[in-house]
Amino acid sequence: MITIQHLSMRLSAGGRSVTILDDVTLEIPAKQMVAIVGPSGSGKSTLLGLIAGLDRPTSGAIILNGLDITQMSEGPLARYRRAQVGYIFQSFHLIPTLTALENVLVPLELAGTDSPTDQAIELLRAVGLGDRVHHYPVQLSGGEQQRVAVARAFACRPPILLADEPTGNLDSVTGQQVMDLLLSLHRDYGTTLVLVTHDRAIASSMHRVIALRDGRVESDDIIGPSTKIPERIR
Amino acid sequence: MNRFIFAMAWRETRGAWRHFLYFFVCIAVGVGALVGVSLFAAHVDRAVSKEAKGLLGGDLEIRSSHPLSAKSWDVLQSLSERGIVVTHVSELVAMAARADGGAGSGQTTQIVELKAVESSYPFYGTMRLEPARSLEQLLHPDVAVCKGMDCRGAVVQEALLLRMGLAVGDRLKIGQTTFLITGLVRTEPDRMANAFSLGPRVLVTQEGLQAAELIKPGSRVRERYLVKLPAGMPFESLRAELRGRLASDSVRVSGYRDAQPQLKQFLEQLSRYLGLIGLTALLIGGLGVAMSIQAFLQEKLRTIAILKTIGADSATVVSTYIVQALGLGLLGSLAGMLLGVLLQRVLPPLLAGMFVSDLLDQLGASAELSAISIGPLLKGGALGLFATLLFTIWPLLRIREIKPAAIFRQEVESAPASSTVRRAPWWVRWGLNDRLTILTSVSVAIGLGGLSIWQAGSWKVGGLYFGGLSLAVVMLMVGARAFVGVLRLLPRLQSLSLRYAMGNILRPGSHTSGMVVAIGISMTIIVTVSLVEQELLHEVGETRPVDAPTFFFIDLQPDQTEGFAKLVQKQTAGRAPELTPLVRSRLHAINGEAVKVEEEREQDERREENKEERRKQWYLSREYVLTFLDQLPKGNEIIRGAWWKPGEAFPIPQVSIEEEAAKSLGLEIGSRVTFDIQGATIDAEVASIRKVEWGNFSTNFYMILSPGSLDGAPLTYVGTIHVPPEQEVPLQQAVVASFPNVSAIHIGDVLENFARVLDRLALAIRAVALFCVVTGGLVMAAALAATRYRRLYESVILKALGATRGLIGRTFAAEYALLGMVGGVIAVGLSSALSWLVLTYIFDLSWSPQPVVLLRGLALTVLLTLLVGWLSTYQILGQRPLAILRHE
Repeated sequence: MITIQHLSMRLSAGGRSVTILDDVTLEIPAKQMVAIVGPSGSGKSTLLGLIAGLDRPTSGAIILNGLDITQMSEGPLARYRRAQVGYIFQSFHLIPTLTALENVLVPLELAGTDSPTDQAIELLRAVGLGDRVHHYPVQLSGGEQQRVAVARAFACRPPILLADEPTGNLDSVTGQQVMDLLLSLHRDYGTTLVLVTHDRAIASSMHRVIALRDGRVESDDIIGPSTKIPERIR
Repeated sequence: MNRFIFAMAWRETRGAWRHFLYFFVCIAVGVGALVGVSLFAAHVDRAVSKEAKGLLGGDLEIRSSHPLSAKSWDVLQSLSERGIVVTHVSELVAMAARADGGAGSGQTTQIVELKAVESSYPFYGTMRLEPARSLEQLLHPDVAVCKGMDCRGAVVQEALLLRMGLAVGDRLKIGQTTFLITGLVRTEPDRMANAFSLGPRVLVTQEGLQAAELIKPGSRVRERYLVKLPAGMPFESLRAELRGRLASDSVRVSGYRDAQPQLKQFLEQLSRYLGLIGLTALLIGGLGVAMSIQAFLQEKLRTIAILKTIGADSATVVSTYIVQALGLGLLGSLAGMLLGVLLQRVLPPLLAGMFVSDLLDQLGASAELSAISIGPLLKGGALGLFATLLFTIWPLLRIREIKPAAIFRQEVESAPASSTVRRAPWWVRWGLNDRLTILTSVSVAIGLGGLSIWQAGSWKVGGLYFGGLSLAVVMLMVGARAFVGVLRLLPRLQSLSLRYAMGNILRPGSHTSGMVVAIGISMTIIVTVSLVEQELLHEVGETRPVDAPTFFFIDLQPDQTEGFAKLVQKQTAGRAPELTPLVRSRLHAINGEAVKVEEEREQDERREENKEERRKQWYLSREYVLTFLDQLPKGNEIIRGAWWKPGEAFPIPQVSIEEEAAKSLGLEIGSRVTFDIQGATIDAEVASIRKVEWGNFSTNFYMILSPGSLDGAPLTYVGTIHVPPEQEVPLQQAVVASFPNVSAIHIGDVLENFARVLDRLALAIRAVALFCVVTGGLVMAAALAATRYRRLYESVILKALGATRGLIGRTFAAEYALLGMVGGVIAVGLSSALSWLVLTYIFDLSWSPQPVVLLRGLALTVLLTLLVGWLSTYQILGQRPLAILRHE
């Protein structure tokens, strides 16, 4: 369960203070699939980043398993990200100097996993890139790069996957492949999935759609019974 | 986690070699300089220790400035009962003349350093002779080759043959006899490693020396009695015994372990200061390392943010890049070790000319690597790694400030953070509110201080070095900032290229301070060496008065003075030589208290003493050349007491003492001084204390006695004369022909010799300092490389707007010249201060401005910055705008 209480975020740009999030309060149960939608600048990505612990809010709390991550110092926050959260970016953000395999290896090695290489290769095979493991990001297409990013995000089997417009930079066919991949992870592992999207079709495939406008929650709709949420298979 | 750190460090390095080129080269050059100097020092030190007996010529040496008395000689003879062997060596300066009287091309006369030996010489070490026969054989040639003439052999240094146009087999006249030149001496084990020699070596037998009749009462000669002990007998007890039994002859007895302290000390000091220059090269290189890391991190901001997003904490990321830096530092250090091995092969030839004989060759100081090379190599490597850590840790700490959210926002700052920083006091802006930053700063400072002390091998020298270097860096940084500040205040300039050049310097991230520090420090060293060298040369050469003597004729006997004066007058159309009586003595007592020269103490013990005490010991134990004079000599000034009136008679002899000697010996007007003149003592009362201008090239004395004081003492005279150049050779030849026992010392030659030695020393220092200049240039290149893309981009935009390649070239040139000017001006200022310190406190000389050296230093700095800048950026000038802008 992710509990967000009175979350606000103000930033300054060019000497002006801009309110990105304004008193957002939400609860996301475990294993739920949530889409966050809204126009540009509504605070979607910022909300996702704050849930991932990538930044600190100006005020408010984000409580996960009883712990407020906004109060964590850098070390515990890094461990939280490593163990609890997988993050997928719109523009992939693979490390350009590492091969596909090495990009996936990073979180496994950070977690001190045994035989990380085997696991990483297994993950890349699972996303259909078994034959591209030694390619560098520049040698991969956008869809392939995003699949590597998904494999990297899911490498440590985190209970929460956060995806920021995961298909935004992809054509529709490739975008669909990546979505199928994310849905299958949810289906197979019971992963909580929170994704930011502009795509109505993708939003409608989720259990719940939260719409933001000017940093506030405009609407919060459950579009399917929570009983649809599958039990964890393994 | 460890696996991740190492794996990630490797992955981040393998594709980024280009970024680390300067990093790598900076460390390699710095370590190379250090290792080269340390290896040289270690090899020479080992050779000196190994050859200690050879350098002394025996287990013990008894040294005296006059032949031993019969009593002392008996003492030495009695040693043979204990299986102890003694050999007698006499060393003196003499004049050699061509026996054929002047046929042939070379000089007819030449001053030589004569050494007379007995057949058992040398006890230790080997002589390298040509032809390769024993010294005994060469000094006693076969009667058949003597063709009925004197059959005495002489082995000479090749320089003598070259100067006099002689060859092996020719004859040489020394004193009253002639010698057949039978061979060449390449090295001799116990030739003192004096930087100065008056002439080439000539080796003859003791019988030959006697036949030459050079040694008269009071002649300047060094009598050495070399003692060889039976195997296993310690020398210390015999040394003590001989010091007691030979005390009446005022001789010096030393053992092989205390032999060559001066040589050792000189080499130690030389390698210490060369080592510190090497360390400076490494520390300048450290700036390049810091800049490379900074530029690298700038490109890695995104990667670091991604790593943090995935769950890496700051400690892990910082550790990753530290491991990477240390790996590169290790590689750089290894390359530096190789470079150092090459450098130490170059140093001995550079220094070779400093010693009369090829000392380094003579010592057998090998440039080959051996077990003793391991220490210097490891130390160099460790210093390289340590320096890498110290210079990278500070920029790497910035990794902590990179937030994972940086991925989303490049321009937008977090509101609370930015306003806090802007309002923050200076200590917050400098990171002094962060415990880790403070701890790191303190550690880096302690680490750098530690490096200095480790390299200097002394707390004091290391501390002074580090303090001086820090001060210089601060001054250069302040200077660079002030320069930037002044540039900002300047009104808008007309010249477009100057305006752009200033823009490049003023821009944030231009590394102006770093470049100025690197260039400034390296040029400071180079200019300081030149300033000190010039000042020393100026002091001994150019301050010489026009009427300073051309020749010093030494060892004139009292009965020769009249004839000598006549001869000189005849040769020089009436010029009269100035004749000064001399007698050699030692201090026997001061105010009735016997002088005890503390020879027993070992060198290490002496080093601990303060400077005053060492000075006092020097004044107590040295030999004094006494004279008596009617008139106060030129260049002398009475500062206390009064000079005697002509014809004044005294109940006891009066003495005038030089002020420094009086101070160190604790003498006042009315004090009593007792001199020991070859066993006889005379008492004198201090009548005056004088200030002496030592650099006036006349005969100067510490002690001058009243006329009549030295009656009956074994006097010799020194004759000085100033002659025009065309009279020099005829005069010298005439004196040698008529007075074969008199030696003519030509001041011009001595000064030339001094200049040559100084030149070699300066060359060796410059060779090591060159490494500083190379690292300084590399730092500048690294700084320019960090801004290369920005320059490229701007230059193509300017071109697209119509700027010519010439305008852009002029902009770059103006920028580099400005940087060079700033670095150069501060460097010449710093080097003036440093040379003043060196001249005042080390050489006791006054400092005078050397505008030519300073201007040359400044011009050299500007040229260097222009060259480095041009090499780093000339490729940008040729870039086509479209190609670059399309790929933007």
